[in-house]
Amino acid sequence: MRLRFKLKTVFILYFTVSLLGLIYALMHLGKLHSLQGHTKKEPTKPHLPTIYVITPTYARLVQKAELTRLSQTFLHVPQLHWIVVEDSSQRTDLVSHFLEHSGLVFTHLHIPTPQDRKLQEGDPNWLKPRGVEQRNEGLRWLRENIWAGETAEGVVYFADDDNTYSLQLFEEMRWTQRVSVWPVGLVGGMRYEGPVVEQGRVVRFHTGWRPSRPFPLDMAGFATSLRLVLRNPEARFDGNSPMGFVESSFLQGLVTMEELEPKAEMCTKVLVWHTRTEKPKMKREEALQAQGLGSDSKVEV
Amino acid sequence: MSSPHPPPPPPRRCAVIRGLSPMVEMPKRRDILAIVLIVLPWTLLITVWHQSAITPLLTIRKACHHLVKEIFIIPERLAARRHRLADDGAEGRHETGQGSDSKEYCSSDKDIVEVVRTEYVYTRPPPWSDVLPTIHVVTPTYSRPVQKAELTRLANTFLHVPNLHWILVEDAQRRTPLVSRLLRETGLNYTHLNVETPRNYKLRGDARDPRIPRGTMQRNLALRWLRETFSPNSTQPGIVYFADDDNTYSLELFEEMRSTRKVSVWPVAFVGGLRYESPKVNAAGKVYGWKTVFDPHRPFAIDMAGFAVNLRLILYKPQAYFKLRGVKGGYQESSLLRELVTLNDLEPKAANCTKILVWHTRTEKPVLVNEGKKGFTDPNVEI
Repeated sequence: MRLRFKLKTVFILYFTVSLLGLIYALMHLGKLHSLQGHTKKEPTKPHLPTIYVITPTYARLVQKAELTRLSQTFLHVPQLHWIVVEDSSQRTDLVSHFLEHSGLVFTHLHIPTPQDRKLQEGDPNWLKPRGVEQRNEGLRWLRENIWAGETAEGVVYFADDDNTYSLQLFEEMRWTQRVSVWPVGLVGGMRYEGPVVEQGRVVRFHTGWRPSRPFPLDMAGFATSLRLVLRNPEARFDGNSPMGFVESSFLQGLVTMEELEPKAEMCTKVLVWHTRTEKPKMKREEALQAQGLGSDSKVEV
Repeated sequence: MSSPHPPPPPPRRCAVIRGLSPMVEMPKRRDILAIVLIVLPWTLLITVWHQSAITPLLTIRKACHHLVKEIFIIPERLAARRHRLADDGAEGRHETGQGSDSKEYCSSDKDIVEVVRTEYVYTRPPPWSDVLPTIHVVTPTYSRPVQKAELTRLANTFLHVPNLHWILVEDAQRRTPLVSRLLRETGLNYTHLNVETPRNYKLRGDARDPRIPRGTMQRNLALRWLRETFSPNSTQPGIVYFADDDNTYSLELFEEMRSTRKVSVWPVAFVGGLRYESPKVNAAGKVYGWKTVFDPHRPFAIDMAGFAVNLRLILYKPQAYFKLRGVKGGYQESSLLRELVTLNDLEPKAANCTKILVWHTRTEKPVLVNEGKKGFTDPNVEI
């Protein structure tokens, strides 16, 4: 008799304790869930257009550093999809690992630049346009993977990995209907270069170099709506165009100057800068490597 | 004296519910029912816990002293707008509103990968925590075309780091509106100071004169400000880091330095003409030398971005400053560190100094050829 009593009590006690524990845990989790569930929707508002950022990149010493600080900026921008296109015949480990740990929504593509289009050692930067094949590859991926049937709400922006972007820029470009434009700092040999706006329309371009170009803009100075990109499958960058005309080769078929949407307070504010990073001097490294004493190459820089 | 009871019968199905012998058929079902009822709550619990493990946006590595903290960051609509740290020396800040929910568990591990569950609050710094040590980042800056760009992307980096206090010191006669406005608009916790380097100490144009280190007076002013603002007896822990405005910092770096007890060190990329320079760490985890080519016999052959100092150490040694005059190239860091610590006390971070978490990048000076003598662009447009 006593045995039965003991066991029964034990069972009842056990059930009560575990039930209480479960209820407590569920309540706690429920609290978390409602918190998460509620706010998880907020950053990913279904009607917030996605910004597709296409970044061509290539292997060099400062690559990881550039991508790191770029990702730190992008992490602040909601609904951003980063399309990184490597100038390489295969995906490199450095970029793959980096993107996986970046915390961003990304697509990792690669396409090598043909040898004759590549800059050789000692060539000045402006000799051949860079990143053309990579940007076209990004466009191709978008056209193949984003269906026009969906509410193709989005913006396509070409962001080089060494420029500097303010967070406000992305909110300015997000609602682009066709092509939006804004000034870019530190480019074209000037403090800034950009469209001149009168009565809400772009009337001409303020630039120090070849203002007769159809679109004397820098790559970082415009964004195209996804709809326009998808509806014009032939629009791409022409690597054979003369210096400074690469942007025009893309925009010419898409939009006229009158249709451009000026942003950044009617193009009076600079929200993006065409910074360039110095190539680090490796004289000592090269000297060491000649002696076979270079710094550990297993350490990723 | 306990009354003897018969030894437990051999485990037979009916043994459990002995007293209910009339129901001989039922005990089998009851058994099963009992087992199910025992197991059910635990399986439910496990599945629900498992499902609720949401992928974190950021994982922060933290060396807790036997504590693991889970911080639930509150969503945007509940977070209070951050204000600048008051100049009168208010230490730390407190959450207004709901505050962060935190639970503490004891764990035997020292370095624990902490998952910060966050619903990301875009463009605002993470809410202030009362437990994390504050990282005081000292950045000297000066006016030039790329200044706003550099500070912008630096701010974008700092906006990810919890408990960061940015001490920006301008090399100028008075605080410029450009920097003031930028600091205000970022929403970061900051202190804006300024001191002008006297003309004969400044670097003239691009002249590489290694005897005159740039930014020294600004960093010293920040050290003085820290000593005037915080008292050695305060309990708010802090770390001081000297971050130049053109370098690149990974977010992991800030979490590595947060556990500094005296002075911690790590490798820096692109300095000294090498891919990276790094302290030499022996098997016991102690620094015994410097892996550099440029003058490895300096007392501290390390770059400004390669070390961090505990605030308490700065406060206990109020005479320690960067040497202003007569400092040989590359010895500036040593001029401060030798007054604070010995080689033996250095704490190696970044996986015993094998990972690169900071890059000494330099931004090209833009060639503004087309501006001409009078300036082509509207000078009222700020760049």
